[in-house]
Amino acid sequence: MAGQSDPHLSIFSAAEVEFLAEDELVKIIPNMSIDALNLICGDFGPFYPHILTEVPIWLAMALKKRGKCTIQPPDWMSLENLTQVLEAERDSPREFQPLPFHYVEISRLLFDHAREDIPDVHMVRTLVEDIRDVRFHKVESGFEEINTRTHAVKLKNLSAMEVNIVRPFFVRALQAFYKHGDPQMILQPDTASRPTNVGDRGPRRDLRPR
Amino acid sequence: MASGSDEGLGFGSEDIDASSISALPTEVELLKRAWRNEKASPEILQFQEDVVTNARLQIEHMEETVEAYEEDGKDALTVSLYQMDLDRTEFLLRSYLRTRLQKIEKYMIHISKTELWNRLSKAEQNFATSCKENMENHLKQSVLSRLPYGYQDFCKQSISSEEDDMVPQPQLDTFVFCKSKKTVGSFQLDEGGDEVVDLIADDLYVLRYKSIKPLVETGQIDLV
Amino acid sequence: MYGRTASRLVKELASNEANQLSSFNNDLVDQVIKECDEHHLELQNMMRKIQNEGLDIQTTRNADHFGSVIHHLSLSRNKRCLMAYVYNRAQIIQDLRWKVGHTLPQEIKEKLNHREVEYFKNHSDALEKYISGLDLDLTVDMVPPKDPYLKVRVLEDIGHVPLGDQSSNLAQHSIHFLKRTDAERFISLGLMEELPG
Repeated sequence: MAGQSDPHLSIFSAAEVEFLAEDELVKIIPNMSIDALNLICGDFGPFYPHILTEVPIWLAMALKKRGKCTIQPPDWMSLENLTQVLEAERDSPREFQPLPFHYVEISRLLFDHAREDIPDVHMVRTLVEDIRDVRFHKVESGFEEINTRTHAVKLKNLSAMEVNIVRPFFVRALQAFYKHGDPQMILQPDTASRPTNVGDRGPRRDLRPR
Repeated sequence: MASGSDEGLGFGSEDIDASSISALPTEVELLKRAWRNEKASPEILQFQEDVVTNARLQIEHMEETVEAYEEDGKDALTVSLYQMDLDRTEFLLRSYLRTRLQKIEKYMIHISKTELWNRLSKAEQNFATSCKENMENHLKQSVLSRLPYGYQDFCKQSISSEEDDMVPQPQLDTFVFCKSKKTVGSFQLDEGGDEVVDLIADDLYVLRYKSIKPLVETGQIDLV
Repeated sequence: MYGRTASRLVKELASNEANQLSSFNNDLVDQVIKECDEHHLELQNMMRKIQNEGLDIQTTRNADHFGSVIHHLSLSRNKRCLMAYVYNRAQIIQDLRWKVGHTLPQEIKEKLNHREVEYFKNHSDALEKYISGLDLDLTVDMVPPKDPYLKVRVLEDIGHVPLGDQSSNLAQHSIHFLKRTDAERFISLGLMEELPG
């Protein structure tokens, strides 16, 4: 119905974003042999003890849960790299550092299910959380720059979970500015705000009985 | 556009070399892409018939594989890994079809009166027809038949309305988050040409759906 | 004031919690429909008067003309409110099919009028027809799948329980690897907890 705000601004649930992240590849070191898997999502393995191989995270989690592998944390999850990223995030108030699109979900999954495989897990976890906070703060300040002339926003390097969280606010703010900045609305406030009456010729003779 | 006839699916060009073979999207990636776009787009998109058919074939095949493995006494671990892969694909397929049905349920009248109709599968069209009839009957019995002559139309406020003026329709000027796989270059967002954006590969943008609609429809840009 | 009653219908919709229904407001709907009839009667009287005075109905801009415009617009507005009320309720009702299945729980059914119950049934039939033609149940798998097995610790002694093709001794503090579907009933009873990793 015209003018009604869209209640379906949250398009993906958190579980759905995590589902997408679970398809990202991660390196594992199996401790047993398993034949090659010809899955719908791709071919993986064969798996041999102590031989590094790459699989989707959901598969890595399943093996890990059953004690069949250790997970090698991705390179970007090292203390050095995260420390650097955090510094760079702080130093550049208008830019986001390049991190995997699913860095929030991947790190959460690994912290929850493979913490013993991550060196310095406490520090790593704190760094990831700090990075998230700094980035969210940046998104918030970016918000303040939206105005009636905003027709496009570029969010280079914003990640999936970040997109999902800011989406409702962003869409609502942009839409509000777009609506109020519509020149038609300023020139003809009457007709523009009442689109339902467009094309109505008023009461007609044929409304009269007989 | 550098690559002309690729239907937006990222393949179809002649010069596939060894390095790009591994980059070919799998069936499930195509399904995932269709699912994401459908979920994030305010209006219903073209039904991805081939993607759905292929996904169903793969699911069927995998069900048989899992069954055979179970009968052969294959180790439980391998069986459950195959089962999980199957579950994931089935979820995507179901959710994709469901997302479309929910759009039909919401905009049945609009869809049945516009070119969007041709985006539905045959089965979806049948569903949409029933949906519309049910809704029309319900509104007729509850409201329209009780209103004065001249005010009983389902799509018009009264007979003096020149066109359909009470059909709920998707909001196309909403903003969407999108990402392009390849660099599109400068792209005009409005008719006047005052709003131009430079679309670079892999960068994320928030844009009005209406202005990038053609890029979504040709698969040059993905909604996220 | 014209249109005030009808706006109450829309306010009622808006004040409901998302996707919650209150009882169908027959009284209010009847009042608005009655108001529509009154507008229509006035509208006709004014137009008849214009004609009886020998004036051209298309071009006349006298008090009766503007009066009729007001009645016409009020009637149209009432119609919009009535339609919005019934239509939006119908949207919530059809969503229920995805949430509760094809049988409406009594406490929801009580809030619908008989036409809405009928609408739910018809819509459910349409959906079921589509699904059976598809040969793929779309009302399951509403959330992304998880590992069908999970690791649990038994919190209270459960004893020997047949799980799958074997019987397991679910002794207190013991750790097991169970099918999610088997474990969930024990977890919901507080007899087990899921272990991470």
